[in-house]
Amino acid sequence: MAPVEAEGPSAEGGISVRDVGIRFVRNRGARRSFKDLFGGRSRRRLPDQFWPLRNVSFEVAPGEAIGVVGRNGQGKSTLLKLVAQVMLPDEGTVRVDGGVAPLIEITGGFVNDLSVRDNVNLTAGLHGMSSREIAERFDEIIEFAELEKFVDTPYKHLSSGMKVRLAFAVISRLEEPIILVDEVLAVGDAPFKAKCYTRIEELLAGGRTLFFVSHSEKDLLRFCTRGLYLDKGRLVLDAPIREVVARYNSDYGVK
Amino acid sequence: MTLDERVRPNAPRRWSPVTRYRRSLWLLTTRDLKVRYSTSALGYLWSILDPLVMAGIYWFVFTVVFKRTVGHEPYIVFLLAGLLPWMWFTGAISDATRAFTKEAKLIRSTTIPRTIWVARLVLSKGIEFVASIPVLAVFVIFAGATLHVEALWWLLAIVMQGALIFGIGLLVAPLVVFFRDLERAVKLVLRFLFYASPIIYGLHDLPRSLQFWGAFNPLSGIFSLYRAAFFPEQLDWFAVGVSGGMTLVFLLVGFLVYRGSIRRVLKEI
Repeated sequence: MAPVEAEGPSAEGGISVRDVGIRFVRNRGARRSFKDLFGGRSRRRLPDQFWPLRNVSFEVAPGEAIGVVGRNGQGKSTLLKLVAQVMLPDEGTVRVDGGVAPLIEITGGFVNDLSVRDNVNLTAGLHGMSSREIAERFDEIIEFAELEKFVDTPYKHLSSGMKVRLAFAVISRLEEPIILVDEVLAVGDAPFKAKCYTRIEELLAGGRTLFFVSHSEKDLLRFCTRGLYLDKGRLVLDAPIREVVARYNSDYGVK
Repeated sequence: MTLDERVRPNAPRRWSPVTRYRRSLWLLTTRDLKVRYSTSALGYLWSILDPLVMAGIYWFVFTVVFKRTVGHEPYIVFLLAGLLPWMWFTGAISDATRAFTKEAKLIRSTTIPRTIWVARLVLSKGIEFVASIPVLAVFVIFAGATLHVEALWWLLAIVMQGALIFGIGLLVAPLVVFFRDLERAVKLVLRFLFYASPIIYGLHDLPRSLQFWGAFNPLSGIFSLYRAAFFPEQLDWFAVGVSGGMTLVFLLVGFLVYRGSIRRVLKEI
């Protein structure tokens, strides 16, 4: 299955990841010196460190749907954060053409003491929507989240299901060319999940680039055309999603 | 609305970086103010009550209990002209210690330039400071102080103080992520700085030998600009010059520390 061709170099939605590596320090309590913080890379002490991701390279064309596969702790979420640019690589470069709508840690951005209305304005605004766009889409967002009766309720009084619904409704309405989905959908109840999936399919039909992390083989095969298989911090396989899922299953799957 | 219209990415809308920065900064600043005023019934009153009570205490101690030898008459105006900007300074710096840690989740989910997390504190506390100026005006009228043309220096003072707080904030906020103890250390330094800055006294009330070094507290010059509005003899251009220099140094160091550490801050929070 060939990836969709890019519509020239100016098309938005492309992602280019080159030789990317990110390093974490294992023992968090380690002594840190100021030299460590400001010194050049070569002069730093080398504490007990590990690389959740290293030497990862791939290109994504606009409109492609990528599924990321791997066991827990193999760097899937880290990769998503790098693409979302909420984490910066220690090696290599991540280039993203156009904005990203990140469905990662989505409920984190809301403020407990503010009403649902204020929170929608704030989060959508921080993700780059103008106040006019927010006003236009406000009812749509609330309707999608099924929170018509709670518009002026403080966010903290919502149930956790409602919170996820609100977050998904806001982020999925962002007019960004790239969407990142990180297992958030595992939380909602079945009818809402179905609604989210429909929405993701709409977005895909509209030419969005999708970056999808999931453990569900069914979802991966449903949305994605291409798969990235991460294992021990390396990109082991970059191939059509069926091949990737098959390889993952043969490595780790329960027979 | 057809399905296609609703889901088509509309590429043309892209904010310029400056617009994006300004918009996000304003969103977060108003959020801070909203949270503050929606969670307390007294709202605005709280932001002026604190300096008023402090001013009342110092006024009582230094004019009723002790015989005042520092500052100028009316002392309450002298006090407030230093205390109100001090509240801006101390409020913003102590909040800056938690700028990254408290908002960790939101920082991890948006890509707005991370200096905004500090800048928004400078702005929201600055707005509270500006909103407290009418209180000073009331005391100026009732205590019979004279407003001089030097009041125009307030604009310079506000710009300098904003820049100073931004610089210190950029320095402190990332470091607290790695050294949590710094949060408490900063509180202690702020308490020390309250007495080490010309708030309950003027820079010229210090012994001559200390005046030179006192000017190296960047707040000395800035406060002398504020005070000049009512007490023109308080204006000390040497101190203002040193303040300006120190402000630039703090901005530079703050920015370097921020730039050198933001990568690790994002991993750590």
